Amino acid sequence: MIYVLYFIVSLICIYTIRHYWFTLNRLFGFQRHPYIDIDTADWPYVTILVAAHNEEKVVANILSALMTVKYPQEKMLVIPVNDRSTDRTREIIDEFVERFPGRIRPFHRTGGKGGKAAALKDAMELVQTEVILIFDADYIPGAGLIKQLVAPFFDPEVGGVMGRVVPMNCGTNLLTRLLDLERSGGYQVDQQARMNLRLVPQHGGTVAGVRLSALHEIGGWDDSTLTEDTDLTYRLLLNGWKTVYQNRSECYEEVPETWPVRIKQIKRWAKGHNQAMVSYAIHLLFGKHRATLRERIDGTLLLGVYIMAPVTVVGWILALTVFYQGIAPLHGIIAVLAVTAYAAIGNLAAFFEIAAAVRLDGSRSRVSLLPFLLLGFTVSIVSVTWAAVTQVKDALTGAEFHWDKTERFRKVAS
Amino acid sequence: MSSYASVGLLCVMGCILFFLPLIPAFRELRRKSDAEPLVVVQQHAGEIRFFADSFRSYLKSLGPTLEQCSRTGATASGTMPDGTEYIVYGQGDQGLLLPPSKEDQAVAAIIASATDLALPWQTTFSRDIYSAGDFFGGEKNNYRAVLAEKDVRLGEHSSVNRWVHAVGEFSADAGCKLFGRASSDRSIRLTTDCTFSRLNAPRIATFDSDSATAPATEDTTYADESSAVLPRTLHDGDLEIPPGQVLRGNLVVRGKLRVGTGARIEGSVKSEKELVLESNVRVEGSLISTSKIVIGADCRIHGPIIAERAMRIASGTRCGSQAKPTTLSAPEIELETGVLVSGTLWARERGQVVRAL
Repeated sequence: MIYVLYFIVSLICIYTIRHYWFTLNRLFGFQRHPYIDIDTADWPYVTILVAAHNEEKVVANILSALMTVKYPQEKMLVIPVNDRSTDRTREIIDEFVERFPGRIRPFHRTGGKGGKAAALKDAMELVQTEVILIFDADYIPGAGLIKQLVAPFFDPEVGGVMGRVVPMNCGTNLLTRLLDLERSGGYQVDQQARMNLRLVPQHGGTVAGVRLSALHEIGGWDDSTLTEDTDLTYRLLLNGWKTVYQNRSECYEEVPETWPVRIKQIKRWAKGHNQAMVSYAIHLLFGKHRATLRERIDGTLLLGVYIMAPVTVVGWILALTVFYQGIAPLHGIIAVLAVTAYAAIGNLAAFFEIAAAVRLDGSRSRVSLLPFLLLGFTVSIVSVTWAAVTQVKDALTGAEFHWDKTERFRKVAS
Repeated sequence: MSSYASVGLLCVMGCILFFLPLIPAFRELRRKSDAEPLVVVQQHAGEIRFFADSFRSYLKSLGPTLEQCSRTGATASGTMPDGTEYIVYGQGDQGLLLPPSKEDQAVAAIIASATDLALPWQTTFSRDIYSAGDFFGGEKNNYRAVLAEKDVRLGEHSSVNRWVHAVGEFSADAGCKLFGRASSDRSIRLTTDCTFSRLNAPRIATFDSDSATAPATEDTTYADESSAVLPRTLHDGDLEIPPGQVLRGNLVVRGKLRVGTGARIEGSVKSEKELVLESNVRVEGSLISTSKIVIGADCRIHGPIIAERAMRIASGTRCGSQAKPTTLSAPEIELETGVLVSGTLWARERGQVVRAL
């Protein structure tokens, strides 16, 4: 028992060191933004997929925004992927198709397997361009974003690109404010540090792009995954393609405004991430492929981010058990466990990462909300642990993964 | 003190210690003083002409004054709505009588000219300058920003701290320092020892101050690769492509790459270390290096050129074309005289024109 505890504390320490390394790199290291200067080029043809499942509240906003972006019109095609919507999503999309002839080609999907990956997979029959960008329907791209996300594809090694997500409804309530802080830490520090250090920036599946030939090479979208973005990141990596992160390619999104929606969202992310961990961790770490040593180590640690929640819980239980059993003096190790616990889990960002990110973002007072992250942390650790437990149970009973759509809170566009 | 009181006190102290750090958090939650979304640039897309366009809009209120001065040839002065002083010249191409200033040879007013504008030398202009015609600046001047509706010419060893835009041709004589954005709707001419940061024009050419030799004419024979899907080759370790070889497809080298004289690559090239092109190499796609790129003489590059450390381009090389402009970016860029670029040149730390070897 004591050795298991030692192992768990060692794992947590590794994650803590990793987070400190990222934070210090982001604060003081060399920042890589190699493609952000590309503002003039013979721009390639691009297809923009907008994943929409019952998105009547938001889909008009993104289509309007995409019609005004600064990218050669004749080289850009928008494909709203209407995935079995039962609300007014289809009607709204068709209105836009009429208003902007030739610029929007709708893909109305009425049946088939559920989930974003399955919908994107089916929509690929309409895609003919080498560069594909993907947005969820609740995002609002700015005028220069498309060029910024396309620019990295001039690098023949780049298979995927990821932009930064910025919550637009952050002021709604405590939850949205906490999610705003988490997003800051996750993107401003964590993703950018991994870009700086040539590790494994994660494809987020929205405000993102993928190269068609790379997608074909890795076997296309896998509709059996809950998080197609994590799956894509690792299959690209294993096949010698890089995913790059563009911190200055920012895009507004809507974050969950209620705790049940948030819990559902993080449970889906945790399950999808764990699914990818089971599929790729061993092969990534020890297999024969083109990832570098640092990519192998960081990629494996990234895969383990969500499983660290139940591991930490087990660590706490073990620590209590050995304490009351009177096994050896464990003050040091328990202290380490207590201090480092939050550094290992959460949605990719620890307290100090978030504090650094908020400073880098130039925010004034929102950093004072940091103590409330304890609440977010508690909800996350319970939700993610519960997700892992049910995932194991589902695997044993042969139950299928279920994909839950994140509820939107924006008022319906007129 | 009784044991109950001690426990009670301990509880109270514990609660105080727990809630004390939460006071600022509760205050911020209630007041929402910093609850706005982070500012994301939604409208302008970082265009190099953004400041020039903004300045032109800012000067709209001076339109009638400019028109009147243009008709009468008179000089007018006053203050803008924000309190900034201005001087409008009706005959800016004549010798200007600049207003006195607290510091020697420093002008702290916006200068606008209804006609061509010629400025004296060794003067600091701490406000933006506008010319409705050509702009001629004397030697060793220091400008904040310059906008001209026709050509701009900066005298030797002048500097621009923020931006300069010419609707016509922009030329900088030897030793000029362009710290911010420099753009032209037609062409930019930079002479030896000029330093730059960010340039954009359909044609950017470097010249030697001691000779009139211009860069060779533009190459318009690029293959159209914009819609072609090319195979990718991955190579671990260093690689040398022999002289004269033709390679079709994208190439990724996880080491140093050297491309021999006269080789042709019908695709894009990436090197994880130094990338060297010998002379007369032709690349239809982009050139990317996580380290340094050295481009030899008389090369032709179609796509973007990105080096994460440094870049040096030798005389006679042409990058992009007017029909298909491109971007060159690196922290440090050295352009030899006789280089022609169409599009954007972006040196984050230092760009310089050096004499051809």
